[in-house]
Amino acid sequence: MAKKKKESVAVRLTAADKGFNITVNTLMTFLLVIIVIPLWCTITMSFRPNDYLGSYIQGMFMAPWHWSFSAYHALLGNNGFLIAFSNSLKILVFGVATALFLTIPLAYGLSVKDLRGRSIISIFIIIPYVFNVGVVPTYILVAKLGLRNHLFSVFAPVAISTYNCLIMRAFFEGIPNDLRESASIDGCNDIQTMFKIILPLSKAIIMTIGLYYGVQFWNDYFRPMLYLDKDYLRPLPILLRNILLAAGMNEFVEANAFGNASIESIKAASVFMSAIPMVIAYPFIQKYFTKGTLAGSVKG
Amino acid sequence: MKKTAIVVLAVMLLLAQSVFANGAQEGAAAPAAQSGPVHIEMWYNATQTEVGPLPNDWVGYQILKDKFNIDLEASSLPSAYGDQDMKIQAAAAADQLPDFFCASREVWLRLAQNGMLADVTDLYAKMPNRTRIMFDEGAIAYTTLDDGRSYGFATPSAISKNEGLLIREDWLNKLGLKVPTTLDELYDVLYAFRNNDPDGNGKKDTYGYGAFVETNTYEAYPGRRFEPLMGAFGVEGTWDMHKASAGLQIHKPEFYDFLVFLKKVIDNDLIDPNWMAYKKDDFRAAWKQGKFGVFREQNSAYASQNNFTPFDTNFPDGGFVIVEPPVGPNGKKSIGPSVRGLRIWCISQKAFEEGKADKICEMFEWMADGEGYELCGWGIKGEQWEIGPNGVPVSINGEKGFDGPIGQTYIQLRSMAFNYGSDYELVSRYPVWTRKNGKQQSALWALREMQEKTWTNAAGSEALPVPSTDLKTYYEQGIAEFLTGKKELTEANWKAFVEQFDKLGGKAWEEEGVAKAKANGFLY
Repeated sequence: MAKKKKESVAVRLTAADKGFNITVNTLMTFLLVIIVIPLWCTITMSFRPNDYLGSYIQGMFMAPWHWSFSAYHALLGNNGFLIAFSNSLKILVFGVATALFLTIPLAYGLSVKDLRGRSIISIFIIIPYVFNVGVVPTYILVAKLGLRNHLFSVFAPVAISTYNCLIMRAFFEGIPNDLRESASIDGCNDIQTMFKIILPLSKAIIMTIGLYYGVQFWNDYFRPMLYLDKDYLRPLPILLRNILLAAGMNEFVEANAFGNASIESIKAASVFMSAIPMVIAYPFIQKYFTKGTLAGSVKG
Repeated sequence: MKKTAIVVLAVMLLLAQSVFANGAQEGAAAPAAQSGPVHIEMWYNATQTEVGPLPNDWVGYQILKDKFNIDLEASSLPSAYGDQDMKIQAAAAADQLPDFFCASREVWLRLAQNGMLADVTDLYAKMPNRTRIMFDEGAIAYTTLDDGRSYGFATPSAISKNEGLLIREDWLNKLGLKVPTTLDELYDVLYAFRNNDPDGNGKKDTYGYGAFVETNTYEAYPGRRFEPLMGAFGVEGTWDMHKASAGLQIHKPEFYDFLVFLKKVIDNDLIDPNWMAYKKDDFRAAWKQGKFGVFREQNSAYASQNNFTPFDTNFPDGGFVIVEPPVGPNGKKSIGPSVRGLRIWCISQKAFEEGKADKICEMFEWMADGEGYELCGWGIKGEQWEIGPNGVPVSINGEKGFDGPIGQTYIQLRSMAFNYGSDYELVSRYPVWTRKNGKQQSALWALREMQEKTWTNAAGSEALPVPSTDLKTYYEQGIAEFLTGKKELTEANWKAFVEQFDKLGGKAWEEEGVAKAKANGFLY
């Protein structure tokens, strides 16, 4: 009887509620269209055949049976592209692992209130965040450490982001201290407490910060350009920039480096393919993302 | 007390870092005499940035090892010149410059003035062939400092005078118009192209002039694509390089006349209105779609088969004529300023002290003539090319040929070998091909035609000082406002604009540029 009564209750929307819903839905649809149009334009451009002569807008409505895969064929058949892709993947995987391996213990340690010298250590961490030394001293350090021409040089100098560390610290501070105390009573040391009690409760923030690092390392162009001289070590952003600049830089060379595909479709295809890993990973992390972003919102 | 002790300890640890941070390399003993090949690290400008690098199995590496005892380690620089400059300067700051590398003049000057580059004055004699082909007085002067010594090898990196003013010949014929020779005649042609349906499709969808904003250090706003129009007023390029009237073109009264003319073209809707928004790709797609009939274009981008095919497919009976620039009201004409397009190859001081200079010269000389020249320029004979019926290299083996996607990786060092002027190089790069209508076309023919037109010598202007970012923004934005009508183009307004420009640093910029041009002998 009570259950039936519960199911029969419906929410009545007032006129104001309906108006609000219509407004919000219209605005969101408008934003969606603004976001989707350039994305769709890029995707359709990547499938455009070499002899296509219509405008960009017409190309967005080109029927799929007229699409050409020559750009993707050219890219996937290009050894340089596959090498760059694998380099980017290595930097992504090892970079995120290294960054989390270093950031998590630092953030957890700073979150423990009875850590001696906590405030001094926090100051040492915040100083480089506020005062950036610049390119040259970092380059000198990386070079003197012998890290040039190692993929390590791309993610090691930025493995600990102060911003991410502070977000994580705020999250860890939100975990009740009683849990640590009961773990301690049960015989856990600090390391065991972190791994067995704290980290299982911190999936949201770990996924979120991992995503932040992942996007940073995947899109990083500057550090690979600076520290990686060997062509076989260069990741995707370097190749992508070369491709995107190709029309302007290489006008003295007549032949198309990518066979029959037009340079515009090559550019669009390379942009789309380089975004694929993030596009694939994001839905899996999304459920943690909102929780993690909000959890670290109170900092300091 | 305890807290104080911890603070003191932490501060001491922090200060101790500066004590222990000194490198252990200073005062190291001189390197022992080398046995085995001489290792040379080289950073080069790739011929085609988007294909793969020089392959690891490139036969040149083995030849250099066997013939010259050189173990070459070659890496390509980033594609964008700005990134190249940053990389080289960061390496220089860390004292990690490679042995041999290519740099822009601006970076070269900074490095040379800081003693990081070797004095190569006496090394020209060790490369007699290369010096004869490439290093004339002007090239040597380009890398000579005030002490009279040369600190780099200035080599051609581009073909000069390789752009021209093109007009749709089929449109002219359809409308019964002649090739314009004066600015007024050009205006009439632009008007006709816009209003008289030159493509005969019944729509008013064509424009007279097409362009996009393309600026550089010696071609200021509105940029290169408008230089033929600026040339009609004698204000082509950023700088006037004549001894008698040296200075910025913006200070010439004729510059205002040019703006008035261009404004008239814009106001009467004779120019593709997207010119301010177009990028290079958009501009090229637009003329291939038949959007406008008069424009300035580069020879290969216009006439080589790969680039012309979309236009040929769309307009098999369409075509262009390369014309002389229009003569202006004062009898002046020019396609635009012509510079030498030199890049500088530098030997680092460190490599010089390690005794590598001679080996570098041997390698550089090998690349300028004979076996090394052919290997760097076209690849392996029999695999990437062979001698064609006209006695110049032709690409063979499809994709593995020097113009195929695989073969192009083998010619990434082409810029070290070519002098970008001889027919031997250009005939093979620009083969004759046949259009859909049966007519033959060649980017080389287009180049030779373009080079015969009237240009303005502005060699050295690309090396003159550049304005500050704020000044450049004021300059470009101000002219754009006049052209779009946001600010009324009157003599009074223009005078006020130029006065403000001078106050912001324009006058100082001009004085610095003229002084440098005089000191370097760039004025003529």
